Amino acid sequence: MGKTVIMKIMERASGREVKVGERVWCGIDWSTARDFGGASCALQFDEITEGRGHVWNPDRIAFTFDLQAPSHSEKVSNNQKTIREFARRQGITRLFDVNHGIGQHVLLERGLVKPGDVILGTDSHMNLLGCVAAFATGVGSTDIAASWLSGTNWFRVPETMRVEVTGEFQRGVSMRDFLTMLVGGLGAGGMDFLSVEFTGDTIERSLLSERVTLCSMVTEMSGKIGLILPNGPVLDWLAERAGPEVRERAAAIAPDLDAPYTEVRRYDVSELEPMASCPDAPDNVRPVREVAGVPVDQVHIGSCTNGRFEDIAAAFEVLKLSGFKVSPGVRTIITPATREVMIQAARAGMIERFLEAGVVFTNPTCSLCTAEHYGALPSGDVGCSTTNRNFIGKVGKGSHTYLMSPMSAMAAAVRGVITDPRDIVCQGRD
Amino acid sequence: MGRTFAEYVLGRAAGHPVSANEVVTVEPDFCMSHDNTGPISRTFKRIGVKRVWDPNRLVVILDHGVPAPSSDHAINHKEAREFMRGQGAPHFYDVTSGGGVCHQKFCEEGFALPGQVVIGSDSHTCTYGAFGTFAAGIGRTEMAAAWATGAIWLKVPESFRIDVSGELRDGVSAKDFILKVMGDVRSDGADYMSVEFHGEGISAMSVAERMTLCNLGIEMGAKNAVCKPDRKVFDFIRGREKSSDWEALWADPDAEYARALSYDLSGITPGVARPHTVDNYAPVESARGVRIDQAFIGTCTNGRLEDLRDAARILKGRRAAVRTIVIPASWEVYRAAMRDGTLDVLIDAGCVVCNPGCGPCLGAHMGTLAPGETCISTANRNFKGRMGDKESFIYLASPLTVAASALRGEISDPREVM
Amino acid sequence: MSGILKGRAWVFGDDVDTDLIYHNKYLAETDPRNMPQYSFEYYPGKESFAREVKPGDFVVAGRNFGCGSSREHAVHCLKEAGVPVILAETCSRIYYRNAINNGYPVLFVKGISSAIRDGCIKDGDELEVELETGTIRDMTSGRSYHGDAVSDLEREIMSAGGLIPYLKSRRKEG
Repeated sequence: MGKTVIMKIMERASGREVKVGERVWCGIDWSTARDFGGASCALQFDEITEGRGHVWNPDRIAFTFDLQAPSHSEKVSNNQKTIREFARRQGITRLFDVNHGIGQHVLLERGLVKPGDVILGTDSHMNLLGCVAAFATGVGSTDIAASWLSGTNWFRVPETMRVEVTGEFQRGVSMRDFLTMLVGGLGAGGMDFLSVEFTGDTIERSLLSERVTLCSMVTEMSGKIGLILPNGPVLDWLAERAGPEVRERAAAIAPDLDAPYTEVRRYDVSELEPMASCPDAPDNVRPVREVAGVPVDQVHIGSCTNGRFEDIAAAFEVLKLSGFKVSPGVRTIITPATREVMIQAARAGMIERFLEAGVVFTNPTCSLCTAEHYGALPSGDVGCSTTNRNFIGKVGKGSHTYLMSPMSAMAAAVRGVITDPRDIVCQGRD
Repeated sequence: MGRTFAEYVLGRAAGHPVSANEVVTVEPDFCMSHDNTGPISRTFKRIGVKRVWDPNRLVVILDHGVPAPSSDHAINHKEAREFMRGQGAPHFYDVTSGGGVCHQKFCEEGFALPGQVVIGSDSHTCTYGAFGTFAAGIGRTEMAAAWATGAIWLKVPESFRIDVSGELRDGVSAKDFILKVMGDVRSDGADYMSVEFHGEGISAMSVAERMTLCNLGIEMGAKNAVCKPDRKVFDFIRGREKSSDWEALWADPDAEYARALSYDLSGITPGVARPHTVDNYAPVESARGVRIDQAFIGTCTNGRLEDLRDAARILKGRRAAVRTIVIPASWEVYRAAMRDGTLDVLIDAGCVVCNPGCGPCLGAHMGTLAPGETCISTANRNFKGRMGDKESFIYLASPLTVAASALRGEISDPREVM
Repeated sequence: MSGILKGRAWVFGDDVDTDLIYHNKYLAETDPRNMPQYSFEYYPGKESFAREVKPGDFVVAGRNFGCGSSREHAVHCLKEAGVPVILAETCSRIYYRNAINNGYPVLFVKGISSAIRDGCIKDGDELEVELETGTIRDMTSGRSYHGDAVSDLEREIMSAGGLIPYLKSRRKEG
C-alpha cells in the first residue's frame, strides 16, 4: 500500500514508518506563537521550568504579532511585552513585531516554510501553510509550551481525502467561491480530522494567493490540513525565498499512485457562480444572487484567508469598473495581510485610488477577525467580509456577517447592498 | 483702552461690545463632537426637545476608535450615525477615507474660520485658534444643551499675551517651543484665559505649526488659544470654507492683558515633557539615553504632513530600533504623504503606518503600553496611564525628536542624527 | 478519575464554536482562574451559565463541539468552573487536543446529538457518569448513553495530568 502526502511528512518527522490511525511523535520544524496565545505559552514554559529552562532550539521558534497589532488594550500590550522579554531571554531572534502582518503570511514571505515541514502555531488557520505542502496546525498554548521543551509533539496520522478540481472560473468567480461552495456542501464537520489533498488542473494553475485561500478554510470544515504540492511559478517563488532544496523536498512527499484515500471528490468549477456564507455559520451557504439586495452597513476585505495582493487587486478591479466610488452608506475597510502586500498595493497606485473612493486602508494585521480590533460591528448591523468565520456575535453581539470573495465584497461596498459581482464585472460583455 | 481678541470675537457674536469677566450668551457657529456624540444625544433626548436648533451647525467626526476596536465602540458609532441621520444633519464624518482626527478634519473641511465661535465636546477644540477662531472645549451636557437651544453662555476670558520673536533653528520645531512655554507657565498658569500668540515668530510659522501651538493651549488651562489670522490662513481656507460669515479679527495693540510673556525662538532647543505631567519640561539633553519601547508619531498635535516629513527626514534610509507607530492625522494628510513618498520612507524604516484616527493617544488601540514600558510621543498628554497601563511612561516631544529617539532606541537629540 | 460523577446537565447543540464558549473579546486574559466568568456569554439562551453553573455540572453537546479557534481559554473556562467532563457526540480536533493536554476528559457519546435535538436530554437533567466505563445515565429520563474511551496515548497523557507532566515524567524515565 502506498503513502499519502501527510503520511510521508509524518514519516520524515518521526523517523519511522507510520500507519493511518496511530499516534506518532514528530520532530517540530517550527513552533510559533502569536500575540494571542504567545504570552500563555511563555508563562507556561517558565512555570514548568521554574523560570530556568531553555527552549529546545531558539532558531526553530518564531513569534508573530498580528491579532491586535498595534495593541489595542493594556492586557494585549502586556502580553506582547511578555513575549518580547521571553524571546530576548531565550535568544529567539525571529520576533515579527507589530509592523509585519499576519503570521503565516510573514513566515511564508520570509522563506521560512518548506514543503514537508511540521509547524505548530497558536492560530487555528495555521494550516493555510498547506498551500506549500507544509503540515502546519493550530494548537493551544500547552502544546506549544510542550514542544519548546522537547522539540516534539504527538499527532494522530490522519486519513486523507482527495479533492480534484478542474475547469476555469468564469469572470467574477474565484477560488473563494469554490471554497464557500465546498464548505456549504461538506458542512462544518465535513473534513473531520482529515488531511485533504487538493489536485486537478484548476489547482495546478492556481496562484499562491488562491492556494492560501483554499487551505485556510479547511479549518472551517474541521479538517486537519489541506495540502497542495507546490509546482510551476509557486515553486519558483518558494525556491527563490526558501532555497533551492524546496524542489527536492516537494518531490519527496508526492503521494504514491496507490496511496489510500478514504474518499475522492471531483468538482468542476466552470459553471460555478459567486457564493456567500450567510449568517451565522460558514456552512450556511447560498449563491450571492439569492441574497442580493440585502442592505449592508460595513464591508471588510482582508484576513489570512483573502488578504493578499491578488485579493486586493480583485477588489480594486470591481471598484474601478464602478467609477472608483463606494456607497456612502457603507463603511469599507481594507486590511492587507502583510507589509509586503501593503507596499505592493501602494506601488501599484491602488491605495491612493481606494482612499479617493472612501475606503479605510489599515496597517497589515488580522483586523476584523475579532470584535476587539478594526471594525467591530454594533448590534443590528450587517457586514460583508472576506474573513473565514461568521459565528454568532463573532465581531459584535447582535451583528450578522456574510462571508464572500473580495470581488463580491467590493460589489456590496459599491452598491450598498449585497450584489452579484458579475453584475459589475460582466457589464457590456457577452 | 483697546480690546483683546476674545473681547472682539465674543462681542461680535453677542451683538454688543463686551469686556473681560462679563458673561455673555452667544450662538455658536459650529458645534463639534466625535465618538461621544452617542452619549450626548442621549442627554439631548432627556431635555425633551425633538430637533436640534440648526442641523447645519453640528459637525460630528468619528476618530477616537476607528474602525471600531470593540463592539462598545461600534455601538457608540451607530448611535451617532443614527442620530445625525434622524436630525437630517449633513456634516457627519463616518469611518471612511473622508475622515481623520476630528480637529484636523474640522480645519481641513473649512469649519474653522476667523472671527467665529466654535464649541467642541473635546478639550483640544482650542486647536482652531490657529485660524483666528474662538474655539473652546466644553462638556457633554453643555453640548446637549447647545444643540437644543442654539445658545451657550460664556464668561469673556481675561487674556494672556505671549510675544514671540526670532526664528527656530534647524532641528528645533514649534513643538519644542510650546513644550518650553508649558514648562514655564505650568499646567494651570493660563486657567480660564484666552492665550494670544503674537509677533513675527508666529507669522513666520506655517498653519500646521500654529495648530500645534494652539492645540496645547488647554494643557496650560486656557479656555482658548489663538494666532492672528493672516494670508497663510486665508489661503488655507479658500475653497474650503463652510460659511461666508467670517471676519478676520485681532487684538488692539493697547489691549489689556492679565499676564504676558515673551520669547525669542532662536534660543529654543529640543525639549521633552517628562512623565507624568505636560509641564514637566526638560531640555532633551537631560533625558538623553532614556531607553524607550515605543515611538509614536501622530495625533491632532503633530500628525500633519509637515510632521511626517520631519520624521522621514530623520529615518530616510535607516531603520527604527524600536516599534514605531505612525498615524497621519487625516486621510488628506495620509494621501499627500503617500504621493510625496514620505510613507514609503517610513514603512521602509520599519514603522507601522495605521489608518488616521486618535490611535493609542488615549490608550484605546493601535499601540497601548504594557507595565514598565516607555513611549516617546508627539501627542499632547503624558498623564499616568494615558496610553495604557498605569505603570507606563510617556515622554512628549517633537516629531524630529521622536524619530531620532526611534532610530536609537533611546531618547536622543535630533540635531545629532541630522 | 474513578467512581461515579453526579451533576446537572447543561445542554448545547451541534457546532458550538469557540466564540460561543469563550468570546474573542476576552482573549487577552492569560490567567485560567479568571476565565469561567465569560463562559457561554454569547450562547443564545445560556447567558446565565457562568453565574449559575455549579462544580460537578456537565456540559452536554452535539457534534463538533469547540470548532473554530485554537484558544485554550475555551477549555480552561469550563475546567476552572468545575465542569468535570465534556460529553459530546464529537468535538473539534484542536479543542480535543487542548482538553487532553490539560488532563481534561472529553467523552465522545454516540447518539447524543439526536437525543439533544429530540429533547430526550434536557437542561437540568440529573446525570451519573462513570469515566472508566464511559457509561452515562440520565436519572431524570431514565435513558443511558455510552461514551467512547480515549486511545492509549491520550489515556497516558490524561492520567499523568496533562501533556506537560506527561513529558516531564517521560524525560525522567528516558
